[in-house]
Amino acid sequence: MANRPRRRRDGLSRRYTRTAYLMLLPAILFFAVFTYLPIGNLLTTSAHSGPQADVFAGLDNYSRAVSDPAVRHSFVITVIFALVTTVGAIVLGLALAMLLDKPLRGRVVFRALLLVPYLTSVAIVGLLWRNILDPGLGILNRLLTALDLPPQQWLITHPLETIIGVMLWQHVGYAMVLFLAGLQGIPDVYYEAATVDGAGPARRFRHVTLPLLMPTTLFVSIISVITGLQAFGQAYIITDGGPANASDLYVFHVFNVAFEARDFGYSSALSFLLVVVILAFTVVQLRYGRRNEVQH
Amino acid sequence: MALDNPISRRHALRLAGTAAAAAAATPLVSSCGAGAPKSEAGGDAFTVYWNAGHGYQAYEKVIDEFEQAHGVTVNFQKYQWPDLRTRILADFASGTVPDVVESPDVWAIEFAVSGDARSLRDFVDQDGAEMGFPDDWLPKTVERNTYQGEVYGIQVHYTCTTLVYNKRMLDDAGVTPPSTWDELLAAAKELTGGDVHGLALNQDYSYAWPWLLQNDVRLYDPETRQLLVDRAAAEEAFRFQADLVHRHKVSPVPVPSTDYAGPQKLLSAGRAAMIITGPWDLMPIAGTSPDLELGVAPALRGASQVTSSAGASAFVPAKAKRPELSWDFLKRITALETERAATEEAGMLMPRKSWATSPEATSDPHIKAFAENLPLAEDFLLDLAPTGKSGEVSDTLFKNLYQSIVVQNTPVSEALATFDAAAKRALAG
Repeated sequence: MANRPRRRRDGLSRRYTRTAYLMLLPAILFFAVFTYLPIGNLLTTSAHSGPQADVFAGLDNYSRAVSDPAVRHSFVITVIFALVTTVGAIVLGLALAMLLDKPLRGRVVFRALLLVPYLTSVAIVGLLWRNILDPGLGILNRLLTALDLPPQQWLITHPLETIIGVMLWQHVGYAMVLFLAGLQGIPDVYYEAATVDGAGPARRFRHVTLPLLMPTTLFVSIISVITGLQAFGQAYIITDGGPANASDLYVFHVFNVAFEARDFGYSSALSFLLVVVILAFTVVQLRYGRRNEVQH
Repeated sequence: MALDNPISRRHALRLAGTAAAAAAATPLVSSCGAGAPKSEAGGDAFTVYWNAGHGYQAYEKVIDEFEQAHGVTVNFQKYQWPDLRTRILADFASGTVPDVVESPDVWAIEFAVSGDARSLRDFVDQDGAEMGFPDDWLPKTVERNTYQGEVYGIQVHYTCTTLVYNKRMLDDAGVTPPSTWDELLAAAKELTGGDVHGLALNQDYSYAWPWLLQNDVRLYDPETRQLLVDRAAAEEAFRFQADLVHRHKVSPVPVPSTDYAGPQKLLSAGRAAMIITGPWDLMPIAGTSPDLELGVAPALRGASQVTSSAGASAFVPAKAKRPELSWDFLKRITALETERAATEEAGMLMPRKSWATSPEATSDPHIKAFAENLPLAEDFLLDLAPTGKSGEVSDTLFKNLYQSIVVQNTPVSEALATFDAAAKRALAG
């Protein structure tokens, strides 16, 4: 008799489990066909070489990647690109969010304007900034010259910094929206309690806002790092990876290995290594973020 | 069923982060491993990949006639060269290929080496005499489509680069069109002032080749397997270009991008007096600056009077399903009357000897001037193409070398050492 309710619970549990898996089946199939199958294909291709990727090469492509100076250079500048754009997105996004969280006139318009670049295609953004910054025919140098200021040549002298700036310009609005949502989710009672305890604006920001925004910050950082590590269009459209590889971001490099050098085996190995790096970054961020979360 | 453990915002964000990482990995891994998008070829469709700038009305008439003759619909897909390369390589990987592909440089040889282009020998044996191939084609245009004695592509356009200048600027400065490097430098110095540069070098690495060829430099020597020989001559040619930009400041620093129209835009805007370019810039200049009076000079003379050739061929992929139709398309698109119509419409230069004597080639002074330079044109990639490494060595490594020297002003010997190390690895691989 005592076992009957448990058996019923077990039966219900099994039925729920079956139903859950049944409902998950389309998603599982989707991921199997469009994610895991390509990953398998990628791993297979990465063990081959030649223009047709039909010569078995074992792990040669991976050992080649480790010792390839072009890959090392590309990886280093991509990590710099990802980290700077991530920190920039967090700092600027949070600053803008705090500014636009105040009862300013026209703040809805400002929020919308700041989000527009994020909603614009990277190709359009790239061409736009290319035309603004072109040293010979760009709008910015015309303006600087009209103001008797020295013209800039950032696309030549600071290509990586330039595409970092463009990336931030495009993505900071998205970070701002996420931080706005986070700010509005913090109950006023914490600020009131802190104020009663004598905390000023700086201490309220440090001890209330920042800890309670940690989940949002974590999310923004994960998304930004992934977006930064995968950046392609900025290098492709604005600088073509140049001058002389100065802005040869990793995915752009992989693309050129595949479609200029026609080495699909090597490019597959490089792609897989990036997947590993992205997962590693994500795991580290999740662990670090979880450790610093504050419950409320 | 009540949720005992409701998902908090924090958990939702964490889950979303993990999901984003997984989703982010998907396109990356699928882009290289899964091969290519499926071609529309098959059934009644006849798929042609063509350069976006070469979609002339003259070809539309040919396509109409081809469709009527064979009862097919031509799917004429236009791409810029880099996108066309991406597409065709993806197609080769997937095994689903178009019927005809227009190609620049020596792609026909590169893809012959890899087994992706079909030999046209049987068709040439059958129809060559009737269509005038190869006798009516300039020998160099046959050579740049031939691998191990077999023809893999038919030249569609054949052009070259030379000095193009703003006549009024030169007249006002009392400068005659230069014919040597020294004269060019002197003229450029005379013409540089204010916001005008005497010369505008191109950011595209292929524009380095007129200078290198004029100094008798070869990209690759198949016998010694050395790159950029003679090395001293190569260093001198590179240094001359870098000096034009950084020492003499008669050219603006070229800005790296995928666009090679920068100098043309500067010339059109009256910001540069001279550029090195081909006939493909004539139409844009006429369109944006119809009052600009252009001059087209003979190729400059260094150690030799020579320039770099350009142009496009068309080849048939090895896995094309109806090669007979593909061949018929090639015959129609390279017919003399089609060439003449394309020249009349777009000022494009053509590979046939009989075209060179046609009214379309001789009546326009600009086309005539370019056509007179054609016998001086050489293909810098020809020796390298049979290695199958021309894409990596030229498009990637030589591009970096050129930008390193001309854009970044890196010492020539240092840049060449970096190039040598990378190119050696590429050729060995």
